[in-house]
Amino acid sequence: MTKPRAAITSKQILLLPWLVLIVALTLTWLVWDHERQSARKELQSQFDFALRDTVSRLEQRVAAYEQMLRGMQSLLATTPLTNRTAIHDYVETLQLDANFSGIRVIGIVEKVSTQTRTAHVAAMRRQGLPDYTIHPDSQDETLAPIIQREPDVGQDQAVLGFDPWTEPVRRLAMEKARDSGLPSISGKVRLAVDHETEASPGFIMYLPIFAHGQPRDSVAQRRVNIIGWVYAAFHMRDFMASLYGKQSPGLALSIFDDVVPTAEALMYRSPDEAAVAESAMENTMSANEYMVVAGHTWTVSLSTQQAFETLYGRDAASVIAVTGICLSLSLALLVWQMVTGRVRALRLAAEMTEELRHMAQHDPLTKLPNRALFSDRLNQELTRARRHGGKFALIFLDLDHFKPINDNFGHAVGDGLLQQMAQRLQASIRASDTVGRIGGDEFVVLLAELTEANAALALAEKIRMAARQPFIVDGNELLVSCSLGVAVYPDNGSDEITLTKSADEAMYRAKDTGRNSVVSASNTTR
Amino acid sequence: MIIRIFIFLLIMLGNINLAKAVTPDCSRPYTLALHDHGLLYSAETDAGIDKDVADELIRRSGCKVTVSLMPRARIWQLIESGALDFSLSGIRNAERDKFAAFAWYFSNKYYLLVRKDSGIRNLADFTRNDRLQLGVIRGFRYSENANQMVDRLQAENRLSMAGGLAPLYQTLMLNRIQGMIIEPFDYPTLEEKRIRDLTAIIEFNDPAVPHGLIMSKKSLALSEQEKWRVLVNGMRTDGTMRRIFEKYFAPDLAAAMVDF
Repeated sequence: MTKPRAAITSKQILLLPWLVLIVALTLTWLVWDHERQSARKELQSQFDFALRDTVSRLEQRVAAYEQMLRGMQSLLATTPLTNRTAIHDYVETLQLDANFSGIRVIGIVEKVSTQTRTAHVAAMRRQGLPDYTIHPDSQDETLAPIIQREPDVGQDQAVLGFDPWTEPVRRLAMEKARDSGLPSISGKVRLAVDHETEASPGFIMYLPIFAHGQPRDSVAQRRVNIIGWVYAAFHMRDFMASLYGKQSPGLALSIFDDVVPTAEALMYRSPDEAAVAESAMENTMSANEYMVVAGHTWTVSLSTQQAFETLYGRDAASVIAVTGICLSLSLALLVWQMVTGRVRALRLAAEMTEELRHMAQHDPLTKLPNRALFSDRLNQELTRARRHGGKFALIFLDLDHFKPINDNFGHAVGDGLLQQMAQRLQASIRASDTVGRIGGDEFVVLLAELTEANAALALAEKIRMAARQPFIVDGNELLVSCSLGVAVYPDNGSDEITLTKSADEAMYRAKDTGRNSVVSASNTTR
Repeated sequence: MIIRIFIFLLIMLGNINLAKAVTPDCSRPYTLALHDHGLLYSAETDAGIDKDVADELIRRSGCKVTVSLMPRARIWQLIESGALDFSLSGIRNAERDKFAAFAWYFSNKYYLLVRKDSGIRNLADFTRNDRLQLGVIRGFRYSENANQMVDRLQAENRLSMAGGLAPLYQTLMLNRIQGMIIEPFDYPTLEEKRIRDLTAIIEFNDPAVPHGLIMSKKSLALSEQEKWRVLVNGMRTDGTMRRIFEKYFAPDLAAAMVDF
């Protein structure tokens, strides 16, 4: 019962490094994912902030221009619309410096009806504008010609008398301003002062002027009592240049008129044109905000570029991934070493024990069983033969005149010869037989399960013949012979000692009788 | 007799004191900002519930109050900084409680307005489909579930911010957004039919949220806030508030909003 359980446990233990690897990698993934998400969140909130900031800067700028126009409105609450000098002086005093560089022109529009048209034109001409006409020609009941433009620096005088009411985009804003009594911005227009070729997107902000002392609390009242508008015309490009604060780097900004971001509606695009193409890359964040400025909607479209991510992004996630994977692998390896350390040590010990045992039982030169192992085999064979009443033989073999070879050719050659002799011996016997080396040039052969004693003599003879064949060692041809003594159980001895003694004596007799011969112990007189 | 006259004088004085107590301090001009938002206030017509409430409140207070129009986000920012004294139709949350006090005058629920063709049947449908964009007005907060939805979509970059209702309706009609959060007074009078035909309404399962006069804690002392609150409550108890709402809503809806 214990054994299979132990086997399962050791198998389970081998799973431990994998488990550790999986857990560590999962942990790495969790941390990496968390970091990636929080980095993304941080980037997102940076982006949200940038969008909010952009919109708020635009709003503030529009509010500043609104404020300035309200000043004009206030002036016209105290002086007639036609007081050219006062208006000129007022704009002069405003000192429209770089902070107001968005403004192309400030002007006055007077509301004229078809009935008062002739009188109006005459009055304007009397004021030193002999060419003044209301244009383009309009069949509308209401006419709204521009009667003054400031700063008046000799620009195209033809703009005076231009009737913006005839142009739908402008008219819509003028109507909104009239009905609400509040500032109103027009859609995208080409400014009247711009020539067709150099036109850059613009817009106009209108504020209504009502008749002095007349009620303006309802839409109806405001429609009746409006006498004109004060307006400021802007180039979007210059308006954007006059913003306070700084646009976050790495962001592509576009502003479109109204809510549909089409090429026709494009009012402004951040100067880096190449950046816009780049922003089409994947993995960018983009958002539209529909801001309402002075009653009009602009779509602010913001998208991130590489630079934004470089600036605000963190790449800790990749560091975490790489470090985490490395640590996980190291940890798993460490655990594997710890877990398999015992197993590997045991295997090593077993291998070493086996090697030691082999070394203890075999002759290191010829790898043949040594005396101890041979003795074991002999005893096993004795036991077997006694139990079954069988026979076996023991052959003692001694090389003749081996010593001179060692002396003449050196021990290396002598050893080589012994090794070859061992091989020849092993080639001569059956698999069930055993050859051992028990001394310098002494070998023994155990012939197991012998049917008759003569077979042993025949094998001994075969061995003797084999030994007669020349040995080639290190290029030296060596000729040796051997003397063999054969003892058979139970004829020549009943135990190890007597058998060994018989075989040994027989071998010595072979030596004594001229060497190179086989002598049976049965022919030996005691 | 003398004692009687004395008691009468005391009562009179007490009344004067009482009258004084509910009249806010008018020693400085105040500022109040409206935001363009459906029936609450329409800049196009310069009319709406908030405008009427503001007019009546200013009349009762006897103070000089300059009324202006601003984006909602800017209003909250100025209320927080103390540069603006009042605004109208505000709802509370933990963050706003730090810088704003309120005097409630109506209450209503929030709804999710979605395009019929978007196939959305409930709130989860909207949240789940990451192709759907929700339009919201910057600076707006809603009822609890609506806030949760907005916050989640914000994190997923699925909000389209707008400065007012008008662009939200426009973008909804153009299918650039598929939903927006509305209140009963959010339908524009113009185009109402077209919008109703194209959209469906899903309820947030939240109770009605009270709306009120927003007072900046930075610019108005606690005692002054209380005086303005008394004025608002006066408008509710004497039926003025209900009459204002009945100008814009059917009587039963007006009653449901004002009596809470």
